[in-house]
Amino acid sequence: MYRKIIINDVKKSKLITITITAFILLAAMLTSLAAILSVNLFSAINNMMLRAETPHFMQMHSGDIDMERLSAFADTENNVEDFQVLPFLNIEGAEIVIGENSLAGSVQDNGLSVQSRRFDFLLGLNGNIIYPAKGEIYVPIYYMKQGLAGIGDTITIHGGSFTVAGFLRDSQMNASMVSSKRFLINESDFEKVKKFGKLEYLIEFRLRDSSAVSAFESGYIAAGLPTNGPPAITHSLFKLVNALDDGMMIAMLILISVLVIVINFLCIRFTLLAKVEEDYREIGVLKAIGLQVGSIKKLYLAKYGAIAGTACIAGFILSLFAKEPLMENIRLYMGESGSSGLGTVFGMIGAGIIFLVVVLYVNGVLCRFKKVSAAEAIRFGASQSGAKLAKSFRLSCSGGLPPNIFLGIQDVLARKKLYSTMLLVLVISSFLMIVPQNTYNTISQRNFMTYMGIGECDMRIDIQQTEDIARKTAEIAAAMARDTDIKKYTVLTSYMFDMKMEDSTTEKLKVELGDQSAFPIEYSAGRAPQRESEIAISSLVAGDLEKGLNDIIVLNIDGQEKRLTISGIYSDITNGGKTAKAVFKTSKDSILWSIIPVKLQADAATDQKITGYKEQFSYAKVSDIDEYIGQTFGGITDAVKKASYAAIAAAAILTVLVTLLFMKMLVTKDRYPIAVLKSLGFKNEDICRQYMVRSAIVLAAGVLIGTALANTLGELVGVSLISSFGASTFRFDINPLFAYLFSPVLMAVCVYLAARFGISEISGLKISEYRKE
Amino acid sequence: MNKILSGKNIVKTYGIGREASNALNGVNIEILAGEFVAVMGPSGCGKSTLLFALSGTDTINSGSIQFGGKELTRLNENALADIRRTKMGFVFQQPAMLKNLNILDNIILSSVQENRKNTAGIIRKAKTLIEKTGITGLEERDITEVSGGQLQRACICRALMNEPEILFADEPTGALNSKSSEEIMDLFSDISKNGMAVFLVTHDAKVASRADRVLFMNDGAVRSELFLKKFNERDMENRVNQVILRMRDYEI
Repeated sequence: MYRKIIINDVKKSKLITITITAFILLAAMLTSLAAILSVNLFSAINNMMLRAETPHFMQMHSGDIDMERLSAFADTENNVEDFQVLPFLNIEGAEIVIGENSLAGSVQDNGLSVQSRRFDFLLGLNGNIIYPAKGEIYVPIYYMKQGLAGIGDTITIHGGSFTVAGFLRDSQMNASMVSSKRFLINESDFEKVKKFGKLEYLIEFRLRDSSAVSAFESGYIAAGLPTNGPPAITHSLFKLVNALDDGMMIAMLILISVLVIVINFLCIRFTLLAKVEEDYREIGVLKAIGLQVGSIKKLYLAKYGAIAGTACIAGFILSLFAKEPLMENIRLYMGESGSSGLGTVFGMIGAGIIFLVVVLYVNGVLCRFKKVSAAEAIRFGASQSGAKLAKSFRLSCSGGLPPNIFLGIQDVLARKKLYSTMLLVLVISSFLMIVPQNTYNTISQRNFMTYMGIGECDMRIDIQQTEDIARKTAEIAAAMARDTDIKKYTVLTSYMFDMKMEDSTTEKLKVELGDQSAFPIEYSAGRAPQRESEIAISSLVAGDLEKGLNDIIVLNIDGQEKRLTISGIYSDITNGGKTAKAVFKTSKDSILWSIIPVKLQADAATDQKITGYKEQFSYAKVSDIDEYIGQTFGGITDAVKKASYAAIAAAAILTVLVTLLFMKMLVTKDRYPIAVLKSLGFKNEDICRQYMVRSAIVLAAGVLIGTALANTLGELVGVSLISSFGASTFRFDINPLFAYLFSPVLMAVCVYLAARFGISEISGLKISEYRKE
Repeated sequence: MNKILSGKNIVKTYGIGREASNALNGVNIEILAGEFVAVMGPSGCGKSTLLFALSGTDTINSGSIQFGGKELTRLNENALADIRRTKMGFVFQQPAMLKNLNILDNIILSSVQENRKNTAGIIRKAKTLIEKTGITGLEERDITEVSGGQLQRACICRALMNEPEILFADEPTGALNSKSSEEIMDLFSDISKNGMAVFLVTHDAKVASRADRVLFMNDGAVRSELFLKKFNERDMENRVNQVILRMRDYEI
């Protein structure tokens, strides 16, 4: 009997059944995909890191290495299983020429390396440890993905030429987020080019107990071993970094799937409530003749169980096909996972969860049956609750308001609960349209870089990875002082200082010295350092040190301990984000790098200036700031832009779909009052107008609330989104044309069209068919 | 007297192909201005179908329906709606009212739609009718707060608001007790005496006996007519007996 009832019901409401099925299918597919991809991603990363024998602790160091001290340390630490020091020959981007393109514009620190003998192996695409022959070079997979190199290409480094023999997976530096990239060459070739680059060392340890890595780290620092470089990186961080790119995709899939499920719930709620209303009398009668609520619920549960079951199975099967293209990236970067079976099982579990969630939800909504009063149902054929709400709004006192408009408003007032569902969807849609767009608008503004630790300028010169930075910087500064096209410039020099911690241990801090007021950045708290006794730190440093404004940092400057007051905290996305800014002087000569931000005269041709300086000072990296920004977070800006368009499309589709379903449901629900109105001589267009008024009211409220929320609460969402890649505080830059005109108009068009289509059934309703309801 | 509504050869078929059945099988009918016509017949004989066909609220398969000089079968939905609003009134078995509106708003709704500039006049008129139908004091009530009989009176009130030429009533007393039923029928008698035609479908001989003319239908056709005008209006018993006798003849 269930089968018959289900089939009849599906036939009667095809559109709604199809939509709900499609939504469940989509949700099941996405969840299953997310599960399959997660399993594969993590096992692929594990496989790769196992094969490559990724170190548990790695410290980069530039400067001399005292191997004996390191060995002694490794011998005394019980936890050390193995240790090694790998050379990393830092080569200026401009000196690496692939085919005809140099890597001068690359933001990556590129370097040459030889294959390790003990662990931290560089792997080929087949997962094997690769040993290049003389004259061969293996290129990081990052450049393959970027399409910069192909097998057989020639790479010229400081005049020496190499042939690209293949690509390599680097368990440490694979991800685009990691700013260093290792090229692999033969050991004899390495000896030849050694003199051209700046030699750095990767000091690496494998530990017996990898969970005790932080104890090991403190031991390492306490022993005063080499740390002149970025802070040490541990095994778990390598794993995290490798998972980040694809992890974002998986997070997106889960997010979309949650959204789909929420929309689905709304649709199911609509359908069920309309159905309950439609069958109110029947339910009442069934109750009156003594049937239990449970057995009535079973009828509906059977239907949704059948729909959800079919959709989840189909979704799971589809996910098996859809996973292939999405796995490509994982395969490319990490190699085979070897646990596709496990992935499939988890996928099935994911789809199963969706099934359970849907059935539980339907069960929850059906609890409404308990509230059906048998007497009320039989007497009036409909629930009478809610009818009293709009009593004070009367036609007889409405001051000549056209009845169509009156009835529209009246209905919304009388059935607030029903309309609130649609209102919620419209609020979500507006929010979804505006927030990503505002976020994009904010980060695409040029002054946004000041939130990211970069002062606003036209041109930027970086002097790093070269000998005698101080002299070269002075040389460039002198040229600039003579250049009349230059309005303003300043020299900012970064040094590594020892910082004394509260427990008397020492840590390193990169401090940028110079005039911090010339090219100001935005401070999320406080202000730029102005006195020699002040320092500003990036939010990441503040987080690490657990320090805030006006706290004290003790630095060892030129052999003397100096107490500096924190005057400001800023967001930074450059150089790993752990930096500080100050104005004191030092006689230290080991400069990390220098930066010269430049503001040109209004009429100066930026391009020509840049080309000129590039030619004149080949050792410096001269970049157009727009290009610099494009390279530093162009990827993110692009992604947010795409996401914002996708969000607009999704919001529009959501609005159309839900409005359509809602209006259809409403008309089904209202067949009786529509018949009454028709018998009173209301024309189809009158009745349609009433429904348009209803949707216009809900639309107006939805857009108003949505826009208000998007521009207030949305800022918080945007902030948390943007802070995930560095900036901690900023103000939303609202695009008024979009937020206050385009988005509401688009929503209105969507709602209008969907509502028009949704109520088209009205003209087909016959009075005679509903006279006795 | 002028005829205001006439139907010729009305055929209405439900279903298609082999399952098709004629609900109306070539009905001919004429209704005069101010005439009170009742239709009787067994369930499924086509009484209500005839009412909906004549009022233009349902389509027919063939035949012609003339109302006020217009061929209803050729009018579009809007023109039919205009006629329903201005020239016809409807009363159904279940009081058909909008549950969001109170009694007064329900009564004045279609009049305000017709002429919203004169809401005050419309309310005055409604109050007069409310008094006449004996539901004074219920204007502000919800439709769920009054009895079935009171609600049906309100429906009649609403039907009379636009001063229609004809009132269609589909078993208006079907859901009422005998006392309420009597009171409602008194109202119908008054209405028809004031010059409005009434077309009433009923099962009840007592109700039908109030009419000027009773039509007896069976199998989608009018089998017989009974003119009650010749009998004394006060002699209800006789009139009812006449109707019952005729019902027996046609096994209704």
